[in-house]
Amino acid sequence: MWYKRTIPLILVFVLGILAFAQNFIPHPLSEKFLKTVTDWSRIIGGFGLFLGAYSLLHMHVSRIRRQQPGWAYSGFVFIGAMGMIILGLWNDGVGPVRPAPDPQGTWFNWGYESIQVSCSSAMFSILAFFMASAAFRTFRARNLGAALLLAAALIVMFGRVTVSETVGGWLGRPKVFGEIVNAIMDYPNMAAKRGVLLGIALGAVAQSLRIIFGIERSYLGGGD
Amino acid sequence: MATHQDSLKRLTFTRQIVYVLVATSIILPFLIKGISLPFEAEPGAETFYKQLDRLPPGSHVLMSFDYDPPSKAELYPMTVALLRHCFEKDVIPIVMTNWPSGLGLFEKACGDVAAEFADKGDKKVSGTDYVFLGYRPSMSDLILNMGVDIKGAFTTDYYKQPTAAMPALEGVKSLRDIDLAVALAAGNTVELWMAYGSDRFGFPLAAGTTAIGAPKLYPFLNSGQLVGLLGGLRGAADYEKLIERPDIATSGMVALSGAHILLIVLILGANIWYVVGRITGREGS
Repeated sequence: MWYKRTIPLILVFVLGILAFAQNFIPHPLSEKFLKTVTDWSRIIGGFGLFLGAYSLLHMHVSRIRRQQPGWAYSGFVFIGAMGMIILGLWNDGVGPVRPAPDPQGTWFNWGYESIQVSCSSAMFSILAFFMASAAFRTFRARNLGAALLLAAALIVMFGRVTVSETVGGWLGRPKVFGEIVNAIMDYPNMAAKRGVLLGIALGAVAQSLRIIFGIERSYLGGGD
Repeated sequence: MATHQDSLKRLTFTRQIVYVLVATSIILPFLIKGISLPFEAEPGAETFYKQLDRLPPGSHVLMSFDYDPPSKAELYPMTVALLRHCFEKDVIPIVMTNWPSGLGLFEKACGDVAAEFADKGDKKVSGTDYVFLGYRPSMSDLILNMGVDIKGAFTTDYYKQPTAAMPALEGVKSLRDIDLAVALAAGNTVELWMAYGSDRFGFPLAAGTTAIGAPKLYPFLNSGQLVGLLGGLRGAADYEKLIERPDIATSGMVALSGAHILLIVLILGANIWYVVGRITGREGS
């Protein structure tokens, strides 16, 4: 009980108060404290990377072992990861054969540029097709609110591209659509975003205080 | 009466037509030579440009490129345009990232732009005219750490050169010594740079983001927490226009306009069909 509850609560309280107070104390000691704490935290973050890699590989090993539907795709995770690790380590990234196919001279760069960048960009670009299809099929002016949202979206979509300035030019004022878009962004959009942001910030402050003062203890985990 | 199978077939067919139209609207403008649409830079891009342009030679601009290949289309042109502007002004870019999967892109951007200037007889040397610090883990903690000691947070640069005596980092101890910081982000790192960086250590921060991420940053532009904002490919094209170096983003403006116009026409058409259907009581409207 002492190790699982009391010590963590004391640590969180002391460090929480110190980190909070540090913000308002412009003294070399305070800066040294910040540096030390963030150094520790960054070291823990570094281990977090290993933990993430382990977790990913462990999940895919389980999938392959249980032969879950689509388990063969998990094999590609290992092929990709091992391939890039080997290319990265072999001859300091230069790889087994010279000259490498990449102008920067390493097989690792070739793998990154030709496989990761190309595949990731292609996967993301497919979103444009899904978004277009989804917007076309579902964006309906079913009531006044939806109609207003639709009108705002269409104006912003039009005003954000350069053809709007050509059309505006025909009307005698090239930037007219851009000005309408900026008005939408500066007033209704900003009002709504500010409300949401303030709500989130106040919620975060309240939750932090609850954790520092030991009212919120769910982070300690359940059970004994 | 239409069966469920018929509805599915119709839906699939409609979707395929939309896909073909979207692909055509994007690809066609790149194939037809000589099409261009004149445009002026937007206010957010202009203020961004002025912030960097006013810096005297030798100033330090911290550039945090926090994106990866999926956002390359929108943010890489911004990266290149910003580096070109820095090199043109003899300002020293200090490049870093919080996203390890983008490292190769940023190394290439720095190398390519430096080579471009070398071809013009203005050689830019890593460690002297620019620094590529690379990646370190723990985003918010890293920013706080840099607020006290940048060279401690990055003891070496990406090429394993010690930063302690690096000429490019002369006079830079912490984030307080940075003349301007730029965060190009596909995620939420702009907010982290504000909360843990610029608001706390008092340096001006400008941001560039994907088009979908720009609206959420407008409040910060208005409050002065951001001194400039570039949104999506249009933002990159604006910056290319401002530095008078039209490139890939500018050439993409016609395709972007085509895709947007197509989508507007499709949505409007579908809504007219929907409203007419409701008035006439047509099935499936």
